[in-house]
Amino acid sequence: MSRKLVIDPVTRIEGHGKVTVHLDDNNRVTDAKLHVVEFRGFEKFIQGHPYWEAPMLLQRICGICFVSHHLAGAKVLDDITGVGYSTGVEMLPTAEKVRRLGHYGQQLQSHVTAYFYLIVPEMLFGMDAPPEQRNVLGLVEANPELVKRVVALRKWGQEVIKTVFGKRMHGISSVPGGVNKGVSIAERDRLLNGEDGLLSMDQVIEYAQEGLQLFYDFHEKHRKQVDGFAEVPALNMSLVDDSGNVDYYHGSMRIVDKNKSIVAELNYHDYLDYFAEATEEWSYMKFPYLKELGREAGSVRVGPLARVNVTRSYGDSTPLAQAALERFHEYTNGRANDMTLHTNWARAIEILHSAELIRELLNDPDLQGEQLILMPADNAWTGEGVGVVEAPRGTLLHHYRADEEGAITSVNLVVATTQNNTVMNRTVRSVAEEYLGGQAEITEGMMNAIEVGIRAYDPCLSCATHAMGQMPLVVSVYDAGGGLVDERAR
Amino acid sequence: MNAPAECLVAASGVALSNYNHPSCLIYGIGNVGRQDDGLGWAFIDWLESKSLCPRAEITRHYQLHLEDADLISRKSRVLFVDATKDPAVEQFWLERVQPKMDFSFTSHAISIPSIMATCEQCFGRLPEVHLLTIRGYAWELEEGLTPTARQNLEAATEQIAAIPVSK
Repeated sequence: MSRKLVIDPVTRIEGHGKVTVHLDDNNRVTDAKLHVVEFRGFEKFIQGHPYWEAPMLLQRICGICFVSHHLAGAKVLDDITGVGYSTGVEMLPTAEKVRRLGHYGQQLQSHVTAYFYLIVPEMLFGMDAPPEQRNVLGLVEANPELVKRVVALRKWGQEVIKTVFGKRMHGISSVPGGVNKGVSIAERDRLLNGEDGLLSMDQVIEYAQEGLQLFYDFHEKHRKQVDGFAEVPALNMSLVDDSGNVDYYHGSMRIVDKNKSIVAELNYHDYLDYFAEATEEWSYMKFPYLKELGREAGSVRVGPLARVNVTRSYGDSTPLAQAALERFHEYTNGRANDMTLHTNWARAIEILHSAELIRELLNDPDLQGEQLILMPADNAWTGEGVGVVEAPRGTLLHHYRADEEGAITSVNLVVATTQNNTVMNRTVRSVAEEYLGGQAEITEGMMNAIEVGIRAYDPCLSCATHAMGQMPLVVSVYDAGGGLVDERAR
Repeated sequence: MNAPAECLVAASGVALSNYNHPSCLIYGIGNVGRQDDGLGWAFIDWLESKSLCPRAEITRHYQLHLEDADLISRKSRVLFVDATKDPAVEQFWLERVQPKMDFSFTSHAISIPSIMATCEQCFGRLPEVHLLTIRGYAWELEEGLTPTARQNLEAATEQIAAIPVSK
């Protein structure tokens, strides 16, 4: 009797997805799929709105990575109004650095959330621990001092966001051609020096190092599990600067293979020439791939693991992160790393990298510059733009067209979780084969192993399909005829 | 839960004048872009329009975050205000909240009792916390309260403003 295992929905990821695993008569995995079954359709309902509303409305796709959506949209508006990268215009230094500051602040805050709130409890308690223990509230009971530090770290990231965007969620900073305010010396000093209830920059970096050490300690004790868990192949993609190093805000899209050879490098304005998107009837989330290589060979991984695979260096200005990156690269002898749980290692490195980048920016007097907006020349209007940033979860692309009246006529969003769709499905398959194959009983621990694999990507299914909400976990087993054989819920 | 006066007596420490101090926090939870989910913020709007509790810290957020445990650890008294869809609440309900680790955490939401328990365990302090819930009925992507929710808000503000100062 063939069997189908359904995990619906996957808990503790952003949005709503479910997993089905198909087993044969001997409980061997024959297929596994990550389904994304909700849909909100931001791309459709934004049509007809004034172009300048898009970065404000589309950031509300998500309460976690709203800054990324805001900035990707802002870059589109720069293009549309004729002051963007598509027309060869360079942004004013103050405007670009203020945008970067907010961007890095969000990356720090978002990564801290994913890493400390969701992943560290799993590392400390084990993936077989009961769900009520392996979350940050379990951590509160086990190690309140650590949680106190994590809360302080995330709060500091939020204060960076608040400094730039005016509030901790869904604020506004970027306008076409620049930003609406700079960073005052008082604001800068508050973030650098801290105050009662707010960490100093040095403490942030210290705590970020401690977070990375947690991974090193866990890896040392559980090397076989961490390294052997869902090692799945994929190309790696990231924005890079002219030196071939990751640039979270702007650059060309570079795709490398296992040997870190460049498979493709493109100006993101030309993405439609390089990428196609496949669809499946069982998921609302599309499957992007490089046209030239086809869907199987041309699917890419994005996000922390992809970025540390692509980047050659972090440069001299972030020495602590650079040392951590070198250790990461040495682990696989310079080849790209396909070990899914090493995404958490990469995420911890990027927390540190973000902190050092913020420190560098806060010490840059350009943040106090007075020239904030580049005004377009007459007849500069282009009516079309593409904006790409490295969101915490990976490469995020916005593409809008507007008519001569300024009304949006079309929108295309390719978010990081969509780019990761194929590699997440490969991960689910790999984990299912390892943890479920041949087992007669479906346990909580086995179910969670699949979730751990998905969660390593910190997927935002809300962004990818524009869905929202979380529900309890339900697991159902069906026979080949569709009859319910078994069901578990929590 | 159809007798607000009863709950107000039970929560008589919630006289607004008791909150007019920097050590107090009044925290509106909600989303004004989703109709009656904006009730928590509308209560804060009312406070500000009447210049009530000008010395208290006033804040509005979409949802609670874990770092709110840090925020409330610095306060002696906290009033959370939120919308509710609970049909047992006729117009509004005011209650004292106790800490409880209910493991409700997601990266998007966490309960008030869990915030309090986190505050107590991580920061070794716990303020007096009350929760005012006001009944709402519609939650779609639209600005503005429904007429009935607005009536409930008015009933809540009128009666809370009338709570005598506790001895």
